[in-house]
Amino acid sequence: MNQINRISGGQIDRSRQIKFRFNGKWMRGHPGDTLASALMANGQQLVGRSFKYHRPRGIFTAGPEEPNALVELRSKAHQEPNTRATMVELYENLWATSQNHKGSLEFDLLAINDWFSPFLSAGFYYKTFMWPRSFWERIYEPVIRAAAGLGSLSMEEDPDAYDKGFLHCDILVIGSGPAGLMAALTAARSGARVILADEDFQMGGRLNSETYEIDGYPAAEWVAKTLEDFAGMDNVRIMKRTSVYGTYDHGIYGALERKTDHLAETNGAPRHVLWRIYSKRAILAAGATERPIAFADNDRPGIMLSGAVRSYVNRFGVTPGQEVAVFTNNDDGWRTARDLINKGVHVPAIIDSRDIAPRQKLPGTRIFMGQAVNATIGRKGLKAIGLTNEQVISCDALAVSGGWNPNVHLTCHQRGRPVWREDIHAFVPGKELPVGMSVAGATNGVLTLGASLQDGAQVAKNVLEDIGKAPVDIAIPQAEDEASDGQAFWHVKNDKKRAWLDLQNDVTVKDVKIANAEGFRSVELLKRYTTLGMATDQGKTSNIAGLAILAEEAGKTIPEVGTTIFRPPYTPVPIGAFAGRSRGKVFRPFRITPSHDWAAKNGASFVEVGNWLRAEWYARPGEKGWRDSVDREARMTRQSVGICDVTTLGKIDIQGRDAGAFLDKVYSNTFSTLPVGKVRYGLMLREDGICYDDGTTARMGERHYVMTTTTANAVLVYRRLEFARQCLWPNMDVHLISTTDGWAQFAVAGPKARDLLRKVVDVEHDLSNEAFPFMACGHVTVCNGMPARLFRISFSGELAFEIAVPSRYGNSMISVLMNAGEEFGAVPYGIEALGVMRIEKGHCTGNELNGQTTAHAIGAGKMVSQKKECIGNVLSQRAALTDENSERLVGLQPVEKDKDLIAGSHFITKGDTVNIANDQGWMTSVAYSPNLGHSVGLGFIKRGHERMGEIIRAVSPIHETEMDVEIVSPHFIDAEGTRLRD
Amino acid sequence: MIIPHPLLGPRDAAEFVYLGDACLIDRPDWRANDAMEKFHDYGYMRDNPPGEHQELWFHEQGDRSWLVVTRNVTTHEISKVELARDVARLQGRDK
Amino acid sequence: MIEYHLVAEPPLAGTDISIGGVRLAAQTEISIVSIALPLEQETEATAALEAAYKLALPESGHSIVASDGARVVRTALDQAFILLPEIQHSPERMVSEKLLETVYTTDQTDVWAALTLEGSGAVAVLERVCPLDLDPSLFPKNAAARTMMEHLGVLIIRTDDAAFLLLSASSSAASFLHMLKTSMVNVA
Repeated sequence: MNQINRISGGQIDRSRQIKFRFNGKWMRGHPGDTLASALMANGQQLVGRSFKYHRPRGIFTAGPEEPNALVELRSKAHQEPNTRATMVELYENLWATSQNHKGSLEFDLLAINDWFSPFLSAGFYYKTFMWPRSFWERIYEPVIRAAAGLGSLSMEEDPDAYDKGFLHCDILVIGSGPAGLMAALTAARSGARVILADEDFQMGGRLNSETYEIDGYPAAEWVAKTLEDFAGMDNVRIMKRTSVYGTYDHGIYGALERKTDHLAETNGAPRHVLWRIYSKRAILAAGATERPIAFADNDRPGIMLSGAVRSYVNRFGVTPGQEVAVFTNNDDGWRTARDLINKGVHVPAIIDSRDIAPRQKLPGTRIFMGQAVNATIGRKGLKAIGLTNEQVISCDALAVSGGWNPNVHLTCHQRGRPVWREDIHAFVPGKELPVGMSVAGATNGVLTLGASLQDGAQVAKNVLEDIGKAPVDIAIPQAEDEASDGQAFWHVKNDKKRAWLDLQNDVTVKDVKIANAEGFRSVELLKRYTTLGMATDQGKTSNIAGLAILAEEAGKTIPEVGTTIFRPPYTPVPIGAFAGRSRGKVFRPFRITPSHDWAAKNGASFVEVGNWLRAEWYARPGEKGWRDSVDREARMTRQSVGICDVTTLGKIDIQGRDAGAFLDKVYSNTFSTLPVGKVRYGLMLREDGICYDDGTTARMGERHYVMTTTTANAVLVYRRLEFARQCLWPNMDVHLISTTDGWAQFAVAGPKARDLLRKVVDVEHDLSNEAFPFMACGHVTVCNGMPARLFRISFSGELAFEIAVPSRYGNSMISVLMNAGEEFGAVPYGIEALGVMRIEKGHCTGNELNGQTTAHAIGAGKMVSQKKECIGNVLSQRAALTDENSERLVGLQPVEKDKDLIAGSHFITKGDTVNIANDQGWMTSVAYSPNLGHSVGLGFIKRGHERMGEIIRAVSPIHETEMDVEIVSPHFIDAEGTRLRD
Repeated sequence: MIIPHPLLGPRDAAEFVYLGDACLIDRPDWRANDAMEKFHDYGYMRDNPPGEHQELWFHEQGDRSWLVVTRNVTTHEISKVELARDVARLQGRDK
Repeated sequence: MIEYHLVAEPPLAGTDISIGGVRLAAQTEISIVSIALPLEQETEATAALEAAYKLALPESGHSIVASDGARVVRTALDQAFILLPEIQHSPERMVSEKLLETVYTTDQTDVWAALTLEGSGAVAVLERVCPLDLDPSLFPKNAAARTMMEHLGVLIIRTDDAAFLLLSASSSAASFLHMLKTSMVNVA
């Protein structure tokens, strides 16, 4: 197809051609074109179908406010629905398809909805799909869902990369039109750090679309010259293709920079960067958006905003048609007619709703003052318009101007309310602006060029002074203030035909009237009832007219009706940009233990424990499943010796003259009396008396303790200790630092543990039971002089040690331990076997200490000292927390030994009905004990400690299981604790 | 949000962790006759007026200091930031 | 005599990547000792520091390099890190003795993985992950700060106009490296 609508001029590079495809058809454009301007050049007037009625639609605007020209851009996994053709820069082999039709764009099967439109007006769904109730999910929802939705997804994973970033500036200038450029220039020349962001790929805003002169230069040339000025300043960052989409607290702005959307090939570079911009001050110079006038059948392809027509004609060198009529209620529409005529495009008529003298003479153009457009002809493309005076004018395009609305959106993101200005018939930013924001130019209701240039410079000066920077004086460029009078004229009354307000959601004037008649009179209700102003364009071209009509119907003024609240984002931001890099395996950081590489080479499979990857078990050839591995590891450890990487436990170095006294405050039991060289088990409570965390703390020196926390609570315990140190007891000399990652720590457990360690720990350290008894700790050296820490502690219940070496030696250390243990049949064991052995031993973990458990319940009530100040001891004495009838920790085993216990089962006394009232407690942890040959469990049962030997029912309504279990001691193995003291 | 750290200057709130009202500094005396009641109120009773609050924030991804941040919860305006340790000492907390 | 010996395998050892004029390299020859100033005995501690390293305790957010190459980084009101430019067998004892036991010391060498990022594009690389304002007027040479990058705690020190030393937890060293490498690729 030829570029039949291409005319002279514009900021396109005619020396080069770009091929692209629309609905499979090859077309051509030039660098500098948008998809919309290229489609227009190729005479493609019909570009999509409307959402509800599937009416044929064409390009309506030339900017981000576009409601109609939404396409699916790119193909396969790269496909992106609802892309505004007006914002897409043309690139080689661009692939776009129209959306919202079944069958072809020309013959949409769902266009039948348009014939049923009398039934589909506002509230149709709410009123119609009420009954019968049984149809809701089976019939209505599938049918509605199939027809609903804007565009379609590829259903494949997004293959593009996205990134985020952080920027800082003194002054963020949003928008690079006349006001924004002058503001940025003033700020930059005055030495401020400036970011100038604009969503367009061409800086300059409306200056690119108009035939103004500034300082004697055509406006676009003046823009280019000004940008050259910036090029030499390293305190300015010019950000093209960057939409500032949201205003956040304390001068933070969200911005989306489109890095590669205009390129045919990205080579894996991030498509978008989502910036968080920290600004001391921001100047919003986001311009204004033109609004249409509603009239009968005003949605035909070929009808578009008047300022958009100027953009296409002046910036892109393309005309929307050969016969372009103009319908306006203000002076601005006349500019469109004049620019068209100057480019040689015939303007058959200009229709001005104002009953005043014609604003100027236009050769070859019929002028109708005090008239309006009241009818249109041409379903898939405009053919003619009918006027209120019954005249019919042939035309293939119509430019409509209803005045301009300042883009106040970003001023409202902190709940600021815009205020109505009667002189320009528009909302302007209110007084309650976001902190640090100023507004300049058209956004501030300054709708003429000369005044905008002046305003931008002046606002920048004020802001500079505000942040203590002396503004330099900059000559304000010479430019005229164009005529800009207008009339508040919102729609042409017509009782028979539909007049569209919201083209994207197919909301008509009549829909607004229905909403008002049915009582949906608040603007927020109007929006939700009619969908006016919803979806991707958020009503940028429709809201104000909708409000005006609601006001008219309700007998109120527009400011009385008010606006809906604008929220971020200003324009759509892809979810992928919000996700950034955080997807798939790099969704969040991961942590590995020092012996990870060795484990991976020795059959380990890993499980996520918070951010940690921990070895679950180490599979050996011939083992049929994880149970084989876990059973072997637990059995071998109890028979001989096992080794487990326990580095993940939190380690906190606590030093100071008051370190012992401090620990007495944060633990429920006492640590100041612990001798140097000894370890003690500690129980921490929350202030409300519930168990918080537990672990062992070792006294390494007079003023030096090393605390261990559970893996899960390491960060939280550290935080709480800092709170206690700084906020509760601020005059204690105590200092904290985490050393979790610094030490590779291994549990060496089992009857052969000492024999094994004697082969590793340097001989001068006596490991005998006498010299290094249960709960001893100390500094040792291993492997001929390597500093290490040794603790005689046991989670498994066996004779056990934990040995720690600097973590860079951890991977080597496990090899050493395994080599040294070979003669004993040493095994590495993972956290499953660790879990089995701790259940066999009756030790608690998170399953038991789940935030509901009292010290009393785990039999540690006496550990909570009442003789000293400590967190939680007061409230731990509340009656309900020490009730003798409350749940206590017990062991459980199945009466029929071949049965597997089920965690989460609840206990019911034999003979009682299964219901909540009869609930006696629950099973917290279960495991198969390879050492006992049957399933073992831990659980809480009311008065459990007095019920040893009782047979009770363990019921799991979820699993639909029930079995008899025996209440036993939680210490299944070595209840007397002789092994660990061996 | 940006929290102006008294030692480090403006820092993104993402570096901090929020705990609760700064009245948590004022921990009751465990030996008092009505200690149980006092601790109950300390743990559970909070006013939640619109306007200015004094809040405890922990600079976890920073210098690990606890701060008392005076913040208007309706506007998010931060009018004062102090080191919690200083506040605690001023309130007479000791060892 | 023990028949086994241990081999050091510091995380990221050998990392040396250059992309787009920016170089990212592992820094394994570094020992780190944290010092904590005892309450009400800060004067003695700072005097010892001055005597040992000929420098005053830097303010929060700053570091100072001693003539022997040791870098003292103020990490908190009552805490500083001393970065020694080589691997010491027992750096904690060394520092403790040098400071006449006026401070509490903790060996932090193995807690951290260190990377240097150098080149004219280093700031652009950090822009994608670092929330701090690295403008030279606000974050000049020897400035230091702990912050968060891509969910990782990072201690960042500007060692020169276009050079940074970055420390992050050693257990998540792979994520740390990935974070910076991805930034280098993304801005290249």
